[in-house]
Amino acid sequence: MYDTQIVQAVWGGVLFGSVYGLMALGLTLVWGAVRLLNLAHGAIFIVGAYAAYWVVSSLHLPILVALPFGVLAAAVFAYAMHLVFIRPVIGKPGFDNATLVATVGISISVSAAALLIFNPEYKVVPPELTGSYIVAGVQINYQGLLVIGTSLALFAILYLFLTYTRYGMAIRAVSQQMEAASLMTIPVVQTYGLVIAISGGLAGLAGVLLSPLFFLNPQSGFNPMIQALIVTIFGGLGSVRGALVAGFVLGVFESFVEVFYGVAWALPGVFILIIVMLIVRPNGLFGISEVRRL
Amino acid sequence: MLEVKGLVAGYAGSEVLHGIDLVVNDGEGVVVLGPNGHGKTTLLRAITGLLPPLAGQVLLNGEDITRWRADVIAAAGVVHIPQGDLLFPEMTVLENLLMGAYHGPTWAERNVRLGRVYELFPWLKERGGQLARSLSGGERRMLALGRGLMAKAKILLIDEPSLGLAPLTTQQIYASILTVKEGGMALLLADENANHVASLADRVYLLETGMLVRVGPAEELLHDKALLESYLG
Repeated sequence: MYDTQIVQAVWGGVLFGSVYGLMALGLTLVWGAVRLLNLAHGAIFIVGAYAAYWVVSSLHLPILVALPFGVLAAAVFAYAMHLVFIRPVIGKPGFDNATLVATVGISISVSAAALLIFNPEYKVVPPELTGSYIVAGVQINYQGLLVIGTSLALFAILYLFLTYTRYGMAIRAVSQQMEAASLMTIPVVQTYGLVIAISGGLAGLAGVLLSPLFFLNPQSGFNPMIQALIVTIFGGLGSVRGALVAGFVLGVFESFVEVFYGVAWALPGVFILIIVMLIVRPNGLFGISEVRRL
Repeated sequence: MLEVKGLVAGYAGSEVLHGIDLVVNDGEGVVVLGPNGHGKTTLLRAITGLLPPLAGQVLLNGEDITRWRADVIAAAGVVHIPQGDLLFPEMTVLENLLMGAYHGPTWAERNVRLGRVYELFPWLKERGGQLARSLSGGERRMLALGRGLMAKAKILLIDEPSLGLAPLTTQQIYASILTVKEGGMALLLADENANHVASLADRVYLLETGMLVRVGPAEELLHDKALLESYLG
């Protein structure tokens, strides 16, 4: 019995952690590089999920075809958002307020559009992998393993991309010293667009991978985004490494509280942990101050 | 050849430069001398697109580059080494240098160019893995210079390379700029110290309150002690 609880808590925690990390990754990347608090991240999440759902339900194609389509749709949507709402205010006074209002507006519009097009019913997005096996009485499903693997792989890929490639280095350069970056021939505004598109793709991927574990409706993007915000703040806004560690710390913590003290304590427990952490380390787990980004 | 015609530039509500005419020929070393706060930095920023000019023209080999974006001007070969270094603080010495060669065609030959920069500043090679923010003031300046030299420049614009540095480092900095100039590079150097730039300057412009008040061959202007004192104090 005790074994079952431990396995249940670890499995749930690692799975939650991956889910949180996957959502937080795009959010923290955009904050780190563009200083944009993208409150439309949850909307982009459902753009990816609904796009995949549409490919599966209307075109009757397998979910593995729908997956890249969902990612692409989310990236294109995010890039369009950049072109229309972000780009015109880059470098202007009031950037923060303008983009906050714009991204909240986009978020509301996307939910409304999803409601009109797909109605409020819960949709089922099929999992990429089906099946499961039992470990110590706990059901480990393959879709969950896929989410964990994808999340870890994406963190590794993003880390390598930012550290070792020309474009990745350019993103860090822009985030650290925008003016100097432009003197190095780096096109700052296009780089912002690239980052926002990558982040959108990541949100879309999360949407397609996570919807089978939960359900999809026009409000489905809200909770993952709030969780991502919490993880990003906990890990240190703008820190990729922080998002990864914070995702797993919070996920495992929440899962253990849930298994050993009951579901009712999970959310209060998480908030207590975050409050304590922010008192001890106001800049988050990886303490990134204003000048230290990415 | 870089040509500036009737350049007017400034910040919201306050005009700093009131119509600058200036020429830098191929391979020439041109120095803009002037006290602090009279518009040297504004001039370089207006030329390289960091501060879009209010009026006037900037021509590179006859082509009008006045309204180009800063990154496009840099890609055309007008390389600006700004005041205060503007390094990428959380990137390593090597990464900072590599960003200097970001432009596509230059990136392909980044290793050759790294070799050349290491010849000027050998310590950059040994400490390639160190974060830029941990360097001393003099080291930062040398890295900024090295990063600028990674680019494929037609002309180098350098803003007060010795500002706030110790005399020995200052000497080292100007010696390396001289090496670059002797390789045939055109220079536009903004400075406030006539003694530092004597070896580099072919021609000198004196800048006062946003206007060029004198221009002449370096040997003539830089040896006119009375003139320099009246302008630079």
